[in-house]
Amino acid sequence: MTCDSRHIDLVENHDQQSGSSWVGTDAPRSDYRGLYIHIPFCSRRCIYCDFTTRAIASDSPELDEYRDHLIREIRKATREGLLGSIETIYIGGGTPSYFGHGRLVDLVYTLSLSINLNDNSEFTLEANPESLTSAMMRDLYSLGVNRFSLGVQSFVDSELRWLGRGHDSRQARDAITMIRERCDNVAIDLICGIPKQTIRSWQQSIESAVETGVTHISVYPLTVEEDTPLSAMIASGEARPPDNDLQAEMMQIAAEILPSKGFARYEVASYAQPGYQCRHNISYWSGIPYLGLGKGAAGMRNLGDNRERLLAGQVVERLAPAQSRAEDLMLGMRMSRGVSIEDVRSAQSLIPSIESVFAELVTLGLTKVLDGRYQPTARGWLLGNELYGRIWASVDSDGIQV
Amino acid sequence: MNTTTHIRNFSIIAHIDHGKSTLADRILELTHTVAERDMVEQVLDSMDIERERGITIKSQAVRVMYDASDGQTYQFNLIDTPGHVDFTYEVSRSLAACEGAILVVDSTQGVEAQTVANALMAMNANLEIIPLINKIDLPAADVDRVRHEIEEGLALPADDAILASGKTGEGIVDLLEAIVKRIPAPKGDTAAPLRALIFDSYFDAYRGVVALVRVVDGHIDKHMKVRLMATGINIEVEEVGVRRPANLPVNSLNTGEVGYLITGLKDPADVKVGDTITLEKGGVHEPLPGYREVKPMVFTGLFPLDGDQYSDLRDALDKMRLNDPALIYEPETSHALGFGFRVGFLGLLHMEVVKERLEREFDLDLLATAPSVEYHVYLTNNEMLAIHSPQDMPDASTIEKIEEPFLTATILIPPDYVGAVMDLSVSRRGTFVTMQYLSTTTVEMKWQIPLSELIMDYFDQLKSRTKGYASLDYEFCGHQPSQLVKLDILLSGKPVDALSFIVHKDKAFDRGRILTEKLKEIIPRQMFEVPIQAAIGGRILSRTNVKALRKDVLAKCYGGDITRKRKLLEKQKAGKKRMKNIGNVEVPQEAFMAILKVDE
Repeated sequence: MTCDSRHIDLVENHDQQSGSSWVGTDAPRSDYRGLYIHIPFCSRRCIYCDFTTRAIASDSPELDEYRDHLIREIRKATREGLLGSIETIYIGGGTPSYFGHGRLVDLVYTLSLSINLNDNSEFTLEANPESLTSAMMRDLYSLGVNRFSLGVQSFVDSELRWLGRGHDSRQARDAITMIRERCDNVAIDLICGIPKQTIRSWQQSIESAVETGVTHISVYPLTVEEDTPLSAMIASGEARPPDNDLQAEMMQIAAEILPSKGFARYEVASYAQPGYQCRHNISYWSGIPYLGLGKGAAGMRNLGDNRERLLAGQVVERLAPAQSRAEDLMLGMRMSRGVSIEDVRSAQSLIPSIESVFAELVTLGLTKVLDGRYQPTARGWLLGNELYGRIWASVDSDGIQV
Repeated sequence: MNTTTHIRNFSIIAHIDHGKSTLADRILELTHTVAERDMVEQVLDSMDIERERGITIKSQAVRVMYDASDGQTYQFNLIDTPGHVDFTYEVSRSLAACEGAILVVDSTQGVEAQTVANALMAMNANLEIIPLINKIDLPAADVDRVRHEIEEGLALPADDAILASGKTGEGIVDLLEAIVKRIPAPKGDTAAPLRALIFDSYFDAYRGVVALVRVVDGHIDKHMKVRLMATGINIEVEEVGVRRPANLPVNSLNTGEVGYLITGLKDPADVKVGDTITLEKGGVHEPLPGYREVKPMVFTGLFPLDGDQYSDLRDALDKMRLNDPALIYEPETSHALGFGFRVGFLGLLHMEVVKERLEREFDLDLLATAPSVEYHVYLTNNEMLAIHSPQDMPDASTIEKIEEPFLTATILIPPDYVGAVMDLSVSRRGTFVTMQYLSTTTVEMKWQIPLSELIMDYFDQLKSRTKGYASLDYEFCGHQPSQLVKLDILLSGKPVDALSFIVHKDKAFDRGRILTEKLKEIIPRQMFEVPIQAAIGGRILSRTNVKALRKDVLAKCYGGDITRKRKLLEKQKAGKKRMKNIGNVEVPQEAFMAILKVDE
């Protein structure tokens, strides 16, 4: 089975648990180690957002319908034996906390019937400060949710208003404090390169984040996606496009401050205190199969050396062995641990140019060799597209079937 | 019919867009030459590119039979000519095959530069000219003004100009009757030995070169043994025929008639436009006047973006030349661009058309370098080199003098724009020749301008500075000495041969500075800083930098993002593929043409 070796990577913090988390001994086995559930609803849309979500009234009957639909999907997946090896669960959105206390409880309770949620499981819920209530947090935590990812984005109120967020910095701090009363595993997102953001205000956001006691911080540059209000504002001249050089400087500042406060960078955008890396996200970058449930949810499975990517249960892509291997190497290089020289060497039979591509990456200063592994350099972090693009270009991407 | 009394050979001449092809369509319709169901727009323009651009590149000859009001049937040979100044020689040969010309003038636009140029050519060819004022159905038609312009500007009587609309068909019968009455029948000696003029040729994959001919004296028959006088080739006629417009073989073409001729010759270079055909035995010794070798004026490097397409490009050029003997090319090697060809063209339009056809019809991705002209470089050892590419320029210390081709440009403008044309032409090293009022609304200016300046954006500038009113025509007037230097462009300290150009020494500093600034905008930021320098010899004239790219990262990449982000990388890769990698620098194609867009 292709993913057994990868499994070890994923659960390096708790080896003894491997393969034993399981409901009933005769349940069929599956390759899926991760489960993603998508909640495509928000109270409002932020100006930069292009995710699969939409603004909806909190009393809309559609929310109940969607809950029922998800519960049917979970039961079906259970019957098909797809949930037997799940180790990480991630409820993302949209804004899952906006889905509502009762519906979330229904959902997590249903999951807890099919998946053995224990201390070794990682179960993340995405939430926004304004819609995560204390009661909701308490009940979900009791049912097994043990990681909360809060969409904070900034600790500067004027920046939050500009982004169209529904909370201010005080609400963000209060939400973090409230979660930390029960659960210490709190992750937040920060965005750099917001118009009018300054180096100083960015430093403030990072320092505020550290002070709140969160264990995981993601740092993103503001990206202008097509067909968003932001792209229209830029097209009309109402907003200035983000300055790449400034964003680079801000990402560099985060890369300097956060490690000094105990947050190690383990992926291009992810910083965590020891033991608090997001195992679910790491599985995305490690070729580990995951199941996606719900509207717009993506999934991935390996069939021998081939790979399939799914969207809402439909196969949308088939990757040949070389392509799937190149994807693993490319995604592996998003992480600070990188990929081993041995992995690259063994890919040579599928991708003849791969060793010379990595040699070139080293020459270009995008990659270094450390402890028998290729790892991104500071330059490689900032010029990620150059790095990933060169790896991906080593295989012919025309052959991907849809 | 062995006399010429019922033959009328004529051409339709016009400025671009004045409705020549539509008018030809109406004539074919009215004489039932083309069945209605086969009627397409611009029947005589068979290439896609001709139809799309509304231009005629190849000559055409079509025979129509017209039952005139006098009860007789006449044989009309309509010879459609290229309208653009690039093809002046071809036009002159086509006109030499005619006795008359219909001069089409748009009733809303009036007389324009090519109207004048074409009318003058027709007069020089001693043709009977029938002015036709077209598009009279348009509300903006101003027949009186146009009549006045024709009389004033062209010194042609316009009282009996035909008033017509190619669109509605109005006036077409008047035109056909005028052709019968006003254009003379061909003169020629039916009993004399054969003399026939080749006025164009095209290539047929099965039959070889097909020549379009006009019999001047005698007759030309199937199986006759003939001689092509300029190339000295003796050959047997395989087939003669007329075009209606499809080829229709006949036994013989007689004095005054127009048709086609197939000999089985495969190389278009053997069948030259303007050559005279006579009998192999007992033929004439004097060819028809007017023949000359066609010489390309503008040269550019064509390089396949994908080096593997080099041999495809060679094959494509070989095929293209079959229908376009004016096209010449030789291999060229560039450090920056690899293997390609230096290709000579009659002019800029010819160049654009050929490049577009190569890409479209042969599925090639081509990079064109900035066009150059033919420089005559006299060395200190008295040798003369004809240089078509800046790369071939010898070391400055060995050069005695350099000559460059000059043109006489004829520009027609409303009087308000005289100053604008002055400014532009002087800035492009033009020398004023003459100025004359053709009418109260039209001034004709003549300038002597180096061809190298004209192929910069002169025409675009002329149009924009005169709000589109100016029209331009030009003719070659010989090589003259100029103070020229070769300007090199260096990227990251290394000269890029494909970006070098030859420039007047007084202009070198400005052009160098503007071009480096332009390149800075065009060349995207790379992983390293890219210095851009302009230099003459070892002397740096100007310098600028493309700053290094600091950040290029798609930071968020979770489950659902992976496919999307990978596609973005692929898009990025495809974008890079359209660029040329020079040293470590990715250079977009437009960089090589940037010199043409130097707006001073």
